[in-house]
Amino acid sequence: MVAGGTFVGIMVNQRLLAPSAFLSLRDVPGLDYLEANGELRLGAMTTHRSVELSPLVRGGWPALAQTFGVVASPRVRNQATVGGVLADADHASDPPAMLLALGARAVARSVRGEREVPIEDLIVSFYTTSLARDELLVEVRVPGRPHRAVYRKFRSRSHEDRPCVGVAACRREGELRVVVGAVAERPQWFPELCDPEGDPDAIGRAYAEAIDPISDVSGSSAYRRRVIAVEVRRALEELG
Amino acid sequence: MTDSRVTGSARYAQDAEQPGMLHARIVRSPFPHARVGSIDPTAVPAGCVVLLPDDIRGLGRYGVQVRDQTVLALDRARYAGDPVAAVAAATPRESEEAAALVLVDYEELPAVVDVLDAVRPDAPLVHAAHEVSSSQAAYFGLRPENGTNICHRFRIRHGDVEAGFAAADVIVEETFTTAGAQHAAMEPHACIARWQDGTLEVHTGSQTPFNLREELAGIFALEPDQVRVVCPPMGGSFGAKTFLRTEAIAAALSRKAGRPVKLVLPRDEEWQTLNRHPAVLAVKLGASADGTLLAKQVTCYADTGAYADCGPGVAQKMGFAAPGPYQIPNVSVDACCVYTNTPPNGAFRGYGQMQSAWASERAMDLLADRLGLDPLELRLKNVLREGDRYCTGETMHDIHFAECLEAAAAAIGWRHGRTGKGLSVVLKGMQTPSRAAVEIEAEPDGTYVLRCATTEMGQGAIRAISLLAAELLGVESERVRFPSPDTTLVPYDTRTTSSRSTYMMSRALEAAVRDLGASGGRRGHGEIVDEGGLDPDTGQGVASSHWHQGAAAAEVRVDEDTGKIEVVRLHAAIYAGRVVNRPGAELQNEGSMIMGLGTALFEQVVLADGQVANANLSDYAIPSAADLPQRLTHQLLERQGAEPHGLGETALPPVPPAIGNAVASLDLHVTDLPLTPEVVLGAVDRALGVRT
Repeated sequence: MVAGGTFVGIMVNQRLLAPSAFLSLRDVPGLDYLEANGELRLGAMTTHRSVELSPLVRGGWPALAQTFGVVASPRVRNQATVGGVLADADHASDPPAMLLALGARAVARSVRGEREVPIEDLIVSFYTTSLARDELLVEVRVPGRPHRAVYRKFRSRSHEDRPCVGVAACRREGELRVVVGAVAERPQWFPELCDPEGDPDAIGRAYAEAIDPISDVSGSSAYRRRVIAVEVRRALEELG
Repeated sequence: MTDSRVTGSARYAQDAEQPGMLHARIVRSPFPHARVGSIDPTAVPAGCVVLLPDDIRGLGRYGVQVRDQTVLALDRARYAGDPVAAVAAATPRESEEAAALVLVDYEELPAVVDVLDAVRPDAPLVHAAHEVSSSQAAYFGLRPENGTNICHRFRIRHGDVEAGFAAADVIVEETFTTAGAQHAAMEPHACIARWQDGTLEVHTGSQTPFNLREELAGIFALEPDQVRVVCPPMGGSFGAKTFLRTEAIAAALSRKAGRPVKLVLPRDEEWQTLNRHPAVLAVKLGASADGTLLAKQVTCYADTGAYADCGPGVAQKMGFAAPGPYQIPNVSVDACCVYTNTPPNGAFRGYGQMQSAWASERAMDLLADRLGLDPLELRLKNVLREGDRYCTGETMHDIHFAECLEAAAAAIGWRHGRTGKGLSVVLKGMQTPSRAAVEIEAEPDGTYVLRCATTEMGQGAIRAISLLAAELLGVESERVRFPSPDTTLVPYDTRTTSSRSTYMMSRALEAAVRDLGASGGRRGHGEIVDEGGLDPDTGQGVASSHWHQGAAAAEVRVDEDTGKIEVVRLHAAIYAGRVVNRPGAELQNEGSMIMGLGTALFEQVVLADGQVANANLSDYAIPSAADLPQRLTHQLLERQGAEPHGLGETALPPVPPAIGNAVASLDLHVTDLPLTPEVVLGAVDRALGVRT
């Protein structure tokens, strides 16, 4: 299944996937839209660039627009889609952490009907979602209640690189959500550590301790642990 | 003038097609060191042609400096990626599928992947013995050490270093390392080979048509004129497309198939084909209390991977650049080219210069710090001036190191505060000895055709040489044509490397235009020869007929919580002699600086279990436009009446040490490239340990 193809393209080039056929969603009507009626609804084929530049998203969910705007380069963002970045469950993508922090839900559709899946239940492991084989991710819904959110992308190499550590933080109605992306098999969220009155430094240190980070070309596990503490603190200080 | 690269009409080797051609795919060893047993191609579909070791057993060995390579690995694979077989099929897809069906028996052998491990007495040997090549490119007197992994050792012995250190008030000693890097040219290696009446014709993206012709003739036991090499423009190279890369496999497959064979490498195989030498450099530098340099000792280990390629030359240039552009009475250098079971390393935009500059220029700042001197003043006190003799014994002419340094320092406001700022200055040799020739043919329609082996890889050689020719001929540059080099039509030229072409061809063109006038105006031939070379045991002689000179200055900020460097300001000042094509020269400076930035901050070939672990452009990061410093500037220093100086590489080597020295000015001692946030955070931790 190909949406924008930016993920599948890399997998095929690296010979991690060798499908005999691709099923493209490009010409399937009704999957490319942005609309808001209280909550934000993004069609699965909406590109990153559309989300980034949408006045609607920038007005109501500015941190979300910003997050989609820091992915890779404009060339990639013109191609990569909202549905693709969730369905591929790539641990090193920026948007999933932010969508989780915002309390977003994915809509999965099959011949059996539709269901809503919270992002924290959608991405279960490296490149693995809870979608059934006959389900297609068709929409993402982001709650519209007043909130403040920030996303901090820490890159250890090029500006166009995937994050070494990505931190999304959101305050809404007295609740605090801190989600750390790109450091483990799925976005890392610890509700019990998200004391809305908590000290940013203490929450940062607690997240660093709670997460068992991966090691890869962007940084070692030990290094990521230190950056998590710093970047969570900074995200919370920025969030206020 | 419409540039074919802009309109999309340019034809690269990757675009070449011939009737009936097949597409090739290489079967590569997954192990860094293995005995290759039986190879079973029976599952390969009919219609495909498979090249096996037995097909090439009777062919000659190759290697421009050490004859250490065969067309396919014979019996032993020496790196993860070593070609053990190849397949040709009607389409690229079919050849890819067929290559996966070739079954190879391997027996793993102990591998050595680290350069310092490789020079230990008990290290596994990558090659049992080292046969020096008879190629023109092995001109410098190789000193292989059989029974070790060292295929060349170059030495400089100048003065008496022990006496120099004994007289020194201050001595600094440090070991520096640099990482492997991938050229990452937009166009991968691509060639097409065919045979006709016993002669071989190869169209390939190559900087070295005549070296390639010599190698192919040697392999297939042909006379050089039975091999025709045609070099269309390249979509970038940076040294990657030098000497023999994939052409022999295509040629052997083509001979077996009886049809033309095209071979285009998939992106990941670029990392298995050629990278930059990782290096370890140990430096000892002594000076008197007033900052006068008294002695310098350098030991360099250049990791050339499993096959030497031009690694001995890289090690030698790393060695003779290691003293730096300074007057030092006592110098001792030992530079070793060392085999490991890793992909071959070769030419990379300034043979060994970046590695040397990193070590040499970081050491200068360590010394300045120890002496309590301004690093600029320390350099200016010792830098080579017009008429000085270098440690090789040669007299330096047209020397502008001090001018470059002053210009770089001024650009970042050096004298208004040095915190977060760093400088470096480098000398860079040009291929010596070296020959260049060009022929000019006057056409009846009033145009002129240049017959010249200089290849175009995006560096602007065609433009620069055409402009020079037009100026000498007194015609508009539109009336000068410069077809792609074809070894059957162009006179011999050493190669398009080491920023030599504009300089050498400018002089050959002068001779050709004179000859054109003297011989009736139809055809003119011009040839020049630069003599020189160094004694490999003493390093005495002429290292370079002409020196490339440059300096860089950087200003950085460091996030001490994460170790991330932000380069705020980067400037390079390069001596250009006379600029031939200003826009092209400026782009060369900018491109070199940006490549230097990637080397300084994050580019590195990562190995895991002897295999390249980041062989794609997602896991191997190169700089993007957004990575550029807030201010990236440069200048081309010129001198009235000077000849053109090559400048395609000079602005790369000084960038990493300028950035490293800027980081060091914040009390963060860094010795290893790249300066990733993790490396710098380690330096922060050590500094805090010292401070508390």
